[in-house]
Amino acid sequence: EAQTASLVADRVDLRGGDTLVAEGSVEVLYGRTRLSAPRITYDQTADRLRIEGPITLVEGESTIVVADQAQLDTDLQNGILDSARLVLDRQLQLAANQITRVDGRYTLLTKSVASSCRVCAAAPVPTWEIRARRIIHDEQAQQLYFDSASFRLLGIPIFYVPRLRLPDPTLARSTGFLLPTVRSTSALGTGVKVPYFVTVGDHADLTFTPYLSPQTRTLQARWRQETVRGGLSFEGALSDDTLREDETRYYLFGNGSFTVGAGFTLDVGLQQVSDPAYLIDYDYSDRDRLVSFAELSRYRRDEAIFARITGFETLRDSEIPIEDQLPRSYAQFAFERSHDVAGGVLTWGADAAAVRRKSDAPGAGRDSQRVGLSTDWRRQETLPNGMIAALTTGVAGHVYNTRQDPTFDDQTGRLTTSAEATLRWPMRRVTAGGAQQLLEPVVQLAWADVIGDTVPNEDSVLVEFDEGNLFSLSRYPGRDRIETGARANLGVRFTHLAPGGWTLGALVGRTARFDETGQFEDGTGLSGESSDWLVAGQLRLNEMFSLTGRTLFEDDLTVTKAAARMAYSTPRAQAAATYVWLREEPDENRPDPAHEVTLDAAYRLTRRWSSSFETRFNVEAERAAEAGLGLQYRTECITVDLSLSRRFTSSTSVSATTDFGLEVSLAGIGADRTGAAARSACNG
Amino acid sequence: QGTGIDMGGLTQDTGLPVEVDAEQLEVNQTDGTAVFTGGVTVTQGEMTLTAERVQVVYASGEQGRIQEMQASGGVTLVTPEEAAESQEAVYEIESGNVTMTGEVLLTQGPNTLSSDRLVIDLTTGTGTMEGGVRTIFQTGDN
Amino acid sequence: CGFTPVYGPGGAAEGLWGRIEIDAPEDAAGYALVQQLEQRLGRASAAEYQMSAVIGLDQDGLGVTPDQEITRYQLRGQVTYALEHTPSGDTVTEGAVNSFTSYSAPVFTADRGAIAGNTVSVLSAEEDAVDRLMVILADQIVAELLATAPEWRR
Repeated sequence: EAQTASLVADRVDLRGGDTLVAEGSVEVLYGRTRLSAPRITYDQTADRLRIEGPITLVEGESTIVVADQAQLDTDLQNGILDSARLVLDRQLQLAANQITRVDGRYTLLTKSVASSCRVCAAAPVPTWEIRARRIIHDEQAQQLYFDSASFRLLGIPIFYVPRLRLPDPTLARSTGFLLPTVRSTSALGTGVKVPYFVTVGDHADLTFTPYLSPQTRTLQARWRQETVRGGLSFEGALSDDTLREDETRYYLFGNGSFTVGAGFTLDVGLQQVSDPAYLIDYDYSDRDRLVSFAELSRYRRDEAIFARITGFETLRDSEIPIEDQLPRSYAQFAFERSHDVAGGVLTWGADAAAVRRKSDAPGAGRDSQRVGLSTDWRRQETLPNGMIAALTTGVAGHVYNTRQDPTFDDQTGRLTTSAEATLRWPMRRVTAGGAQQLLEPVVQLAWADVIGDTVPNEDSVLVEFDEGNLFSLSRYPGRDRIETGARANLGVRFTHLAPGGWTLGALVGRTARFDETGQFEDGTGLSGESSDWLVAGQLRLNEMFSLTGRTLFEDDLTVTKAAARMAYSTPRAQAAATYVWLREEPDENRPDPAHEVTLDAAYRLTRRWSSSFETRFNVEAERAAEAGLGLQYRTECITVDLSLSRRFTSSTSVSATTDFGLEVSLAGIGADRTGAAARSACNG
Repeated sequence: QGTGIDMGGLTQDTGLPVEVDAEQLEVNQTDGTAVFTGGVTVTQGEMTLTAERVQVVYASGEQGRIQEMQASGGVTLVTPEEAAESQEAVYEIESGNVTMTGEVLLTQGPNTLSSDRLVIDLTTGTGTMEGGVRTIFQTGDN
Repeated sequence: CGFTPVYGPGGAAEGLWGRIEIDAPEDAAGYALVQQLEQRLGRASAAEYQMSAVIGLDQDGLGVTPDQEITRYQLRGQVTYALEHTPSGDTVTEGAVNSFTSYSAPVFTADRGAIAGNTVSVLSAEEDAVDRLMVILADQIVAELLATAPEWRR
C-alpha cells in the first residue's frame, strides 16, 4: 500500500498547486531511510524530488550515501545521485561519479572506487582500493558485485578480475573467499593459501584451503557443526608433495562433545596421520603422540562416573621401532559415590582398567587388567581453639589379571589399608599498613599398608611432588601403587593481601618418614627418610602481573626440580615466560638435566606498528631451540602480519627449518581479522 | 480580470466585492474600524474565510473601501483546492496578501503541511511557509 | 604477634564452617575442585553463602628435544569465583586465582623396558596433574576468603 514519507524543513515555498521548494536543513524520512540536504524541490505530479547537495542518505544503520545532487522519487527508493559516496558499515567506502538506486535494494555505481582506507588531502592515494567499471550493491542479499575490477595497492594495480563477488561487511556468516596468505618454509618453499568459507545451513560451516607451493599441492579442510546436544568439528589435510614422492600424506583431527541424557556427556576425539613427520613438516600441530578416545562421564556433587577407551599412536622417532611395546589401547572405568554417615562422609567406589600392547614378547608385551573396590570414611571438626581436625580411614582391594609377563602370576591381588589425621590452624591478622595476612600451619600423620602380591604398575610410574599432593594420602598418580609406611607431612602456608592490590602467597613443606621405604626415585624429591624441601610461592598484582614458582631442594640445597611462570600484560606490552629445571633422572630417561626457558613478548611500537618475539632457549645446551619474530602494521583499513620463525635443532628425522609468513587482511572485505580498526583522522 | 497563468487554486481576483456576515457588528466611527464577532464568514469570489472575530480596517477617506481585515480566534481559509487553518490571519486587500500565523496547517490535495507562518500572495497564487515546516505526502507505491 | 585463629572465638571466620555451599561440578576438574573446597570450608548443611566457580585449563609443552619430542608439560589453571549471600542474593566477594602444575612425558626407549614413560603412565600423570592443580587453586581461594572474611561477611 502507498506509504507516507515525511519532510521537515525551515521554509517551504508553494509554487502553485504541484511544486514545493523546501529549504534550510531539509530532511525526508521514509521507513528506515533518512535523507538530509539544504534544498529539495518536490514535484508532486511527477512524484519526484530534485535534491541539491551536500546530500546525506542513511539506510538503516549500515548504509550511508553522500552526494552533491540527486533525483529521487519521493520514497527515496529509486533515482540517481551524482558524484556520490556509498559507505557500508561505517567502514567500506564506494565512490562513483554517479550512483543509481533501484527499488531501495540495489545501488549501482558506475566508474567506482571501493576502499576502506581514509582518503584525505595529506594522503590522496588510499593504501588499497578496488577500481571497477561498475559495482552493484544488493542490500537484501548483502553482496557486492564488481565488473572489470582492478585491485590496487598504494596506487599500483596488482591484479585485474573481470567479475568479483564479495560479501557486504555487515554480513556475519557468508560463503566466499577469505583473503589469501603467503607462507614460505625451508621444507615447502614459498606457497599461497586461499581459504574458501562455505556456510552449511545455520549451524555448520566448511572451510576449504588449497595450499600450493613448488613443493606441495595440499587441500586443507575444516568442518564445524553445532547441534542441540553439543558440537562436532573436524580438521584435516591431504597432500601430494616432493618430501615424500608418490605417497599421499594426510592428517585428520576430530572432536565432539554431546549431552546424551540422564546428565551424561559423551566426548569423542580422533587423531590420524599418514606419517610421523607430516604434522611438523606442515606445522599443523606439534603433537608427538596421537590420542583417539571416547569418554562417557557424569559428575555430580556426591557422585562421579567415568568410562573411557583410549587408543594411542606415537610419532616419536625413538619409539616407533618399539611401538608394539607401547600400550595401543587403554580402557578405564571409575565410579564413586559419597553419603553423610555418622557425622562424616562415607565414600565407596569401584574402578577397573585394562592395557593392551600389540607385542606378545614376554615382559615387553604385557597386557593387564585390574578390577577394584574401595571405600573410605572421613570426618572433620572445628575445635574450640579454631583448629580443624580431620580423620580418614580407607580400605581398597584390587584383583589383577596379567598376561605375557613372567614376573607376575596370571592372577594377583592385594588389599590396601590407609589412615590419615590432619590438623590445620588457620590464623589471621591485619598489619599496621592495612594488609590482611593468613598464616596456616598444617600437620598430618599418614599411614598405609599393602597385603598381597606385587602387582604390575601401569598408571603410577611418573610421580610429582608439589603443594597439590603435599597433604594427600598417596603421591602416586594412579591406583597401581600406594605410598606405604608411616610418615608426617608438615607445612606452613602464608598469604599476604596488600591494600594496593599486591598478593603474596607462599608455602613451605616437607615429608618425614618413620622408616625408609625406598619406594620413590631420587628425581621425585620424595626419596629417603625425609623428602626434599618443597617451597612454592606466588606474587600477583591484580590483572597486570603474576609470578608463580616452586622448587624442591635437598638439605644441602642441591635443587631437584624448579619451575616458574611469569605473565605481564598492559595495554602497550604483554609478556609470558616459563622456566624449567629438572635434575637428571635415569628413571625418566633423562641422562642430563633439562634446563629450559621460553619467552613470548608483544610490544606496541607506535599507533600502527607492533612487534612480537618468542623463543625457547635450552640453557643446558646454551643455545636457542626456537625463535620467532613478528611485525604487524595495522591501520583502519589494512592489517599486515609478517612472521619469521626458526627451529634450530636438527636430528635424524627433523631438520632445522625457517618459516616466513605474510598475512594481509582488508577491513570491510572478507573475514575481517582487523577487529577494532584504529580509525585515524585525516590529520593523523 | 484574473491575471497570469492559473497556478492552482490559490490565485484570487482581489477586485471582487467582499461580503461579511456575523452575529454582531460594532462600528467605531472615530477610527473607522468595524469589529464583527460570533461565527464571522468573509467571502470574496470562491474564497471564504471564517473566524471567531474579524476586525475590518477601512481605508481612510473613501467610505466603504476595506483596507485590511484582521481575523483571530481560530481562522480557516478555504479555496476550491486548498484549505488552511491558523490561530490568526491578516488579509491586506490592496496587496492581495494573506498572512496566517500560529499553528498553521495547509492541506493541498493529498499533502498536508504545518508550520508557524504562511504568507499567501493571492495575485500570483504562491505561498511560503516558514518556521519548522513539516509535511506528510503520499508516495506512489512502485 | 597479633595472629588470631580464624575459626576460634572471635575469629574472622567463626561460625562460617559448613555455611558455604559450592555449586555442583560438571566435569572432572570441577569435581576435584568441589571436593577440596568442601574439605577446606566444610560440607554445607545450612548454606548462608553460595559459591560459583569457573575453571579455565590450558597446557604448554616444554623440554622439547632435538627430535621435537615434548618431555615436560605445564598445566595452567585459572578459577574465577564469586560468593553470593543467599538470603539477600548480593554478590559479596569475587576473585580470580591461577597457578600451574607439571608432569613428565619421558621418551620411552627399548632399554627402558615396557614401563617408564609409556602413553598410559603419561595419561595418568596428566589426570593427576589436573587433580593437584584443583587442590592448589582451591587452597588459594580458601586462603583469600579467610583472609578477607571480615570485609564480606554479612
